[in-house]
Amino acid sequence: MKDLTRKKIDSATIITGAIVIAVLLASFIAEQFMPATSMLFTVLKKSATYALVAVSMNLLNGFTGIFSLGQAGFMLLGAYTYGIFTIPVAERMNVYQYYNGGLVQFVVPWYVAMLLAGLVAAFFAFLIGLPVLRLKSDYLAIASLGFAEIIRALFQWDKLGPITNGSNMLRLFPSFNDFNIRNASGEVVVYLDTLVPLLITTLCVGIIVLLINSTFGRALKAIRDDEIAAEAMGIRLASHKRLAFCVSSFFAGVGGAMLAMYQATVQANGFTTIMTYEILLIVVIGGIGSVTGSCLSAFLFVAASEWWLRFLDQKQMLGNFEVPLLRNGFRRVVFSIIIMVVVLFFRRGIMGTKELPDLIRGFKNRRRKEAASK
Amino acid sequence: MSENVLHIDHLTMRFGGVVAVNDLSMDINRGEIVALIGPNGAGKTTAFNMVTGVYQPTEGKISLEGRDITGMRPDEITKLGVARTFQNIRLFSSMTVFDNVLTAHHLRRTSNFLTATFRLNLAEEKKMRQESEALLKEVGLWELKDEMATSLPYGKQRLLEIARALATQPRLLLLDEPAAGMNPQETEELGAFIKEIKDKFHLTVFLIEHHMNLVMDISDRIYVIDFGKQISEGTPAEVQDDPAVIAAYLGVDEEEESNGEVGA
Amino acid sequence: MWNTIFPYLLTGISVGGQYALIAIGYTMVYGILRLINFAHGDVFMVAGIVMVYMAASGMPLWLCIPLVLITTALVGFLIERVAYKPLRSAPRMSVMISAIGVSYTLQNLVLYITGGLNKDYPAIPWLSESITIMGATTKRVTIVTPFLTIALVVALVMLINHTKIGMAMRAVSRDFETSQLMGIKINSVISSTFVIGTLLAGVGSILYFTNYPTVIPTSGAMPGLKAFVAAVFGGIGSIPGAVVGAFIIGIAENIIKGLDIILLKAGVTHSMLGLATFSDAFTFALLIVILSVKPTGLFGEKITDKV
Repeated sequence: MKDLTRKKIDSATIITGAIVIAVLLASFIAEQFMPATSMLFTVLKKSATYALVAVSMNLLNGFTGIFSLGQAGFMLLGAYTYGIFTIPVAERMNVYQYYNGGLVQFVVPWYVAMLLAGLVAAFFAFLIGLPVLRLKSDYLAIASLGFAEIIRALFQWDKLGPITNGSNMLRLFPSFNDFNIRNASGEVVVYLDTLVPLLITTLCVGIIVLLINSTFGRALKAIRDDEIAAEAMGIRLASHKRLAFCVSSFFAGVGGAMLAMYQATVQANGFTTIMTYEILLIVVIGGIGSVTGSCLSAFLFVAASEWWLRFLDQKQMLGNFEVPLLRNGFRRVVFSIIIMVVVLFFRRGIMGTKELPDLIRGFKNRRRKEAASK
Repeated sequence: MSENVLHIDHLTMRFGGVVAVNDLSMDINRGEIVALIGPNGAGKTTAFNMVTGVYQPTEGKISLEGRDITGMRPDEITKLGVARTFQNIRLFSSMTVFDNVLTAHHLRRTSNFLTATFRLNLAEEKKMRQESEALLKEVGLWELKDEMATSLPYGKQRLLEIARALATQPRLLLLDEPAAGMNPQETEELGAFIKEIKDKFHLTVFLIEHHMNLVMDISDRIYVIDFGKQISEGTPAEVQDDPAVIAAYLGVDEEEESNGEVGA
Repeated sequence: MWNTIFPYLLTGISVGGQYALIAIGYTMVYGILRLINFAHGDVFMVAGIVMVYMAASGMPLWLCIPLVLITTALVGFLIERVAYKPLRSAPRMSVMISAIGVSYTLQNLVLYITGGLNKDYPAIPWLSESITIMGATTKRVTIVTPFLTIALVVALVMLINHTKIGMAMRAVSRDFETSQLMGIKINSVISSTFVIGTLLAGVGSILYFTNYPTVIPTSGAMPGLKAFVAAVFGGIGSIPGAVVGAFIIGIAENIIKGLDIILLKAGVTHSMLGLATFSDAFTFALLIVILSVKPTGLFGEKITDKV
């Protein structure tokens, strides 16, 4: 009989860990030998960012049952916090050209800025959570979406310009490319610009998974399954929902900082409702309530939209025949249709609520049964 | 006279114009099994919901072991030692049998979300798991621990709800129609089971039930309500002979008579 | 002072009327399906694009207008049939996600069709002519909008209170299951709700884009969200509530747009504060406040959950 007094680390968990390490290793090796301009790396970097934000959204929507649409707002907070604290002092005159170099005249290391990004987002989540989390499902959705819009306006306000640079973009802060190790003449010796974002995401997603599997994670799932029963079991709804909201926003903030590093520039106008919608759709495609699903689907989503479906945006000839409809924007139409098909006909997404270790366990059980039947 | 556990003082609940519970007063003492019975729609579950904090009473007061708990949140009341089951089973549907019980240990945690996330609470987690195991063995669901809670047969789901409630370590246990959907044999077993856990876990039990055999068999005292108002109170024998109770159940007024309906 | 405020007030009333026409669609659909139809704002945008292309094809405007309305209603009908009907028994979150998917699809479709170019809305002769009223110059549509809105709302309320389909709508919004048991054809009631809602959004789009004559794929997003806020503000499910809410939001937002100048002229401030940035944000702040203070809105009914 399985010993339940301690949650055992079984072979499926170990295999999962091995797969994650293998992916990291493979991308590190690929980075050294493939041309740096390869689409693969662009896609990996962006999907690392989106995977983190999608998992953070899944923590709310999938594991706690809170339908929040504020993700873009928290990413914005993270991206700006990161940018504001990392633009080199010498460059501030150029960046904050209309605000006399801006107010902030110091920098912190990138990892501190990234942590701050998460903390600022979590702090705002705490404040906004006080009124918003009391609301019922769809009201909460629209109120959190509204919050993201308020943040977007606030950060473009001219009076905050000395801090946020108003409606102008933040730039010249360290980006993913700065992780590459260069020699004295500026040539890259070791490429790390893909590995580091993947590592950050692995670390953050790992922490979220630990939370989900802790006693607090069980309490959150209880709230998702049945609020009234959860409350009757002594679980305080308000504090647990706030916890999920703040943790989710923390990682959305870190994700925002990663997006800033990926884009190398930040502008409040980019953090629109559409961005939240895209992240939500990633969560849905992956499976609401599956961390593995969100990660896989973030990669598929980014790869399909930035890479694999690119050909749909250009004229294509099959021999002498010009394929009709193909021109700028067609990719997104095809993409939307795929999403609608998933939403309508494959509502459980790629993974449902299963995780990678579950799949491995299922596979092993099947093999054992087959062996037994022989 | 033994120690008072639950004191309900002139409790009234109105929903708009409907008076669901009307001026209800009750007392439950330590170690008793007290039943609240009455025809469908008499306001029994509403009374439960007020005791457990789901509804705020319009008027009146509820005290637990001498402490006023009127207007407290359900989770606060649970932490003070009141646990309940639900008429329409409310298990955590995405969880296994084991995790359902394990989750109900959450309220006694000493870890915070950081120590729990980073696994600095291993001793506590281990204790929770051991206690859950013991509880499941106690109620006879240990063999089914890895099944999904909602895939269990109806009677077992009711048992699991009781086990989950016990995991919060209550002193007062509220059972809302625990025998609903059970056959006569299961009902009889349930009666013995309730008495057994009452002694074993030093509980006071407050139950709502429609199976009269069960109620008469295990209750020390019974309160009968109809249309939100108390119509009788006493030992099973006293209540059974009370004309007001017979009238409410068998119906002496013309309307009920013409329907020939028997509230059971 | 009055001369400074008046033009903003005038625009506010007009925009409020346009929001009201969109908000009715939200409030009716929510009343019946308990669904925030996130795609409603995008249907409003599609109505604008259809007009642009119809007018560009050389069709006379008197023909374009009814055709635009018919097409819009058809789009609304199809969205419901394709994206919402199959999910009738699914959890609410699934339907909401489907609505977000439709919104995404419509925006991408229009992006593809227009090739990402801004499209100019055709000038509708009488409506887009400039007039001067009490010293403020504006387009005629500004004056027409509130009256047309009120007339349409009165017609709608009469329809709901005095026709068979209206009665069915009220029954369904009160109790979905029971009305089904009573033999009301739920699907046709829902379809009619979508047709009426999108039809009004179509009228709203003609008025709105006559005022702001550029159509882009995201043109519907903001007015849509604001109209939804208006519906919540007024008490979702209540048509008069949605209309009142829409006018309040329209006026407040335009006053904020001009607040810098108003304050400056009144001598309260001595420099521009850039408050206009918050004209959109204000709506959402209002939403959060109203939901925290009175979640059922101005005219909403209270619903209690059963345990």
